[in-house]
Amino acid sequence: MEEPMPLADSSSMMRVAFVGKGGAGKSTIAGTFARLLARRGQPVLALDSDPMPGMPYALGVAVDDCPIPDDVVVSGGEGEPRWVLRSDLDAAAIVDRYAAEGPDGVRYLQFGNLWGHVVRLQKAQHAWSQVVAELDRDQWHLVGDLPGGTRQAMFGWARYADTVCLVVESTVKSMHTAARLLTLSQAKWGPSSLVLVVNKACDDSDAARICERLELPAAAVVPHDPEAGRGDRRGAAPLDAAPDGALAHAVDALVDRVVSLYSFGEEVAG
Amino acid sequence: MNDEATTVVADLEAGIGTLTRLDAAAVDATVVVVEPTLRSIDVARRAIAVADEQRQGRVVVVANKVSDDDDRARIDEAFEDRVLIVVPEDPAIDVADRLGLSPVDHEPQAPAVAALESLVDALGLASV
Repeated sequence: MEEPMPLADSSSMMRVAFVGKGGAGKSTIAGTFARLLARRGQPVLALDSDPMPGMPYALGVAVDDCPIPDDVVVSGGEGEPRWVLRSDLDAAAIVDRYAAEGPDGVRYLQFGNLWGHVVRLQKAQHAWSQVVAELDRDQWHLVGDLPGGTRQAMFGWARYADTVCLVVESTVKSMHTAARLLTLSQAKWGPSSLVLVVNKACDDSDAARICERLELPAAAVVPHDPEAGRGDRRGAAPLDAAPDGALAHAVDALVDRVVSLYSFGEEVAG
Repeated sequence: MNDEATTVVADLEAGIGTLTRLDAAAVDATVVVVEPTLRSIDVARRAIAVADEQRQGRVVVVANKVSDDDDRARIDEAFEDRVLIVVPEDPAIDVADRLGLSPVDHEPQAPAVAALESLVDALGLASV
């Protein structure tokens, strides 16, 4: 697979989604990415489609469950989804009301956490999906975190993204899942660009092994960062636990790499 | 499956989605694997609540990658009323993962593998 080419987009905002096997570090990198991008003075909306808590910890958002209430949707008409936003609400209003405020000015939108049966989240999921589809492309940079594995990604939950970051650690299982996720780029709705992020690298051979297996160059190599790991155990975001650590520096380089794919990249570059 | 001589061990997807879709009382025991991070503990609590509500047999908590007293304290506090198996952080598991080998094949005497022997005991499988 060749190096991704800069996107010939007309938008002034990026739409990035992070995918990979569970435990690879998607939430950690996505949350850190969102905050570092926001620190460049950019408006960032962090999107979480994982019904389990993860991204809030990586962002350092005070609340980990801020569901979109069921009463924002009504039954859809013929040819519409099962549930649609009420006519008095639009995507901007939902973000304004229900996206939590996080550090560095990041806003955080999820449909809610799963506490019991999946059906309980159905209305909020429909609302979330409609909001993401209808958001003004020029208002927010979107940074999304998908649940681990292939299910959501293959079912089109990352279709809002024009760049997908595939997060991989140096285990056979993680590379196996990543190999399957590479096929996302072949989907009709697939991203314009798919970049590889090597995570928890202990040495140069880790990145080399992953790049060789996936036949893709690494856009970023994020080293194992013990201080960030200790912060993770007590629920601290990487940027708060290790603000000048190896993980923070590597993800900042990833932000540079991703913005360089866009025509407006120089304006956002660090 | 109606074979009393066979033990079925199922590895569910991460999170609680699959667990919530199981029929009530579908299994004899639910093993909830948790890391000593707050987010993992949060998910494990939800899994235990679903398993209890749906009567999914005996619930055993396996605390994985426990590396020090702080980790242990965090786990003990969260799951003090549960059957708990503690698996230490073990470099042998990382090596096995990188090689794509089962830890039991790679290093059968590894501390983490030894700790899982007590899981077999806790589930009452040793006598089967």
